[in-house]
Amino acid sequence: MIFWKRTLPLTITCVMGVLGALQYYVPDPRSEAFLTGMAEWGRIIGGFAMILGVASLCHVHWGKIRRRAAGWGYSAVMYASMLVTVAVGLAAGGLRGPLVEAGTRFEWIYMYGMVALQGTMFSILAFFVASAAYRAFRARTAEATVLLVAATVVMLGRVPLGELILPPFRALGGWVSFPGIGPLSDWILNVLNAAARRAILIGISVGVIATSLKIIFGIERGYLGGGRD
Amino acid sequence: MAWAQRLLRIDRRVIFLLVAVLTLTFVLRPVGLAIRVSPEVRSIYDYIEKLPAGSVFLLSMDFDPASKPELAPMAVALLRHAFARKLRVMVMTLWVTGTGLAEEIVTSAAREAGKRSGVDYVFLGYTPGTVNVIINMGQDLAKTFPKDYYGKPIDSLPMMRGIKSLRDVQYMISLGAGSPGVEAWYVYGKEKYAFELGGGVTAVSAAGLYPLLQTGQINGLMGGLRGGAEYETLLGRRGVATAGMDAQSATHALIIALILVGNLGYLASRRRGQG
Repeated sequence: MIFWKRTLPLTITCVMGVLGALQYYVPDPRSEAFLTGMAEWGRIIGGFAMILGVASLCHVHWGKIRRRAAGWGYSAVMYASMLVTVAVGLAAGGLRGPLVEAGTRFEWIYMYGMVALQGTMFSILAFFVASAAYRAFRARTAEATVLLVAATVVMLGRVPLGELILPPFRALGGWVSFPGIGPLSDWILNVLNAAARRAILIGISVGVIATSLKIIFGIERGYLGGGRD
Repeated sequence: MAWAQRLLRIDRRVIFLLVAVLTLTFVLRPVGLAIRVSPEVRSIYDYIEKLPAGSVFLLSMDFDPASKPELAPMAVALLRHAFARKLRVMVMTLWVTGTGLAEEIVTSAAREAGKRSGVDYVFLGYTPGTVNVIINMGQDLAKTFPKDYYGKPIDSLPMMRGIKSLRDVQYMISLGAGSPGVEAWYVYGKEKYAFELGGGVTAVSAAGLYPLLQTGQINGLMGGLRGGAEYETLLGRRGVATAGMDAQSATHALIIALILVGNLGYLASRRRGQG
């Protein structure tokens, strides 16, 4: 059993990982064909992963309903919504024609159900951001004060109202000048923010390379899952 | 110092009500504040403006309905511009939940410009595989999308004449709400197949893409509703993004006022504690 559950997956991972990395440096038609083949396989596996995702979703929510766990009613709503959507989708043409065909009941569910609900969920963010900013943005330390000032400048500089009330000006024969809240906000985003983001990006990239090497050489085996051999 | 405590204990329902009232007021009655165009949005506009008629422009709407308010206005503005410039427009999405939305946007923009599907533009729709789709499109577009969204073979469409892969695309913009989005198109697309790339993202994601902008990995960036409003300003055609900016101005002003009130209360109560 250890061969099927550990040796074979580790060998496939190692071989494909090394080939995938080498492919990038080999400008040969066979190398390109390999990349195309791998990408096609990735898409096929991606399609099956969707089925796996739906199966996993059903499994988790069915368990909640069966156990009458907290919030099991929401799981029932999930089941009802999914079954109705699938039934209406199949009745509206199923796998033939466009994914969301105009004028069908499935399009109605999509436009007036999914689009409206997802839009509502996202718009709630504005209310929570306002409430959270009021409670959390406090000048408790020097670092928090810097963050507070930067956030205020960016928030004002990214909207027309801010640029209206704080426009650029020069005074005292040019000794005192202010670029305007908009350009000041752009400077924070382009210089301070970009420098910090770049450092984070480099850190993440190095981490990804290290993790990839650990997976390729079988040091990191978390993806194999637990259980007995 | 009871007033300081009161400043620290504003009921969240009051805050929610203020946000709702301000947003509704300015959405229903926009005042039309002037919008300054940033260099990163202008560079996208300028690039499309300089493309010769007949150039291939690919727009990937990599978002779902949750990001519609921020990203759909950008898509509408970009399509209006591309159609006006007589570009050959390909539209697609890497997000399955965004397919119907993308179709609605491109169809209405094309109808408005008098453009025909398959002749002036093509809607490829969605195919599973996320970044693998980009790699396959770089090798063979017709193999990745054998048919357009409406089931017509890609090879039979007049618009697709001479377009074999991503190497034939002159300009590509990804409007991304997450992953896969702009970064995926850079890593797996532009970097390998050498087309120019621009990006449009939600306001919360915009800050993370500035390093790509400075290095030239993307040639322009539209961030949030503001990005769409700036593009509408450049087109000289006000749309929903411009109208929404007044509401966003008011909400930002409210948040700043709330932060000031909270800090005033905090500093006053701290001084009292020290005394």
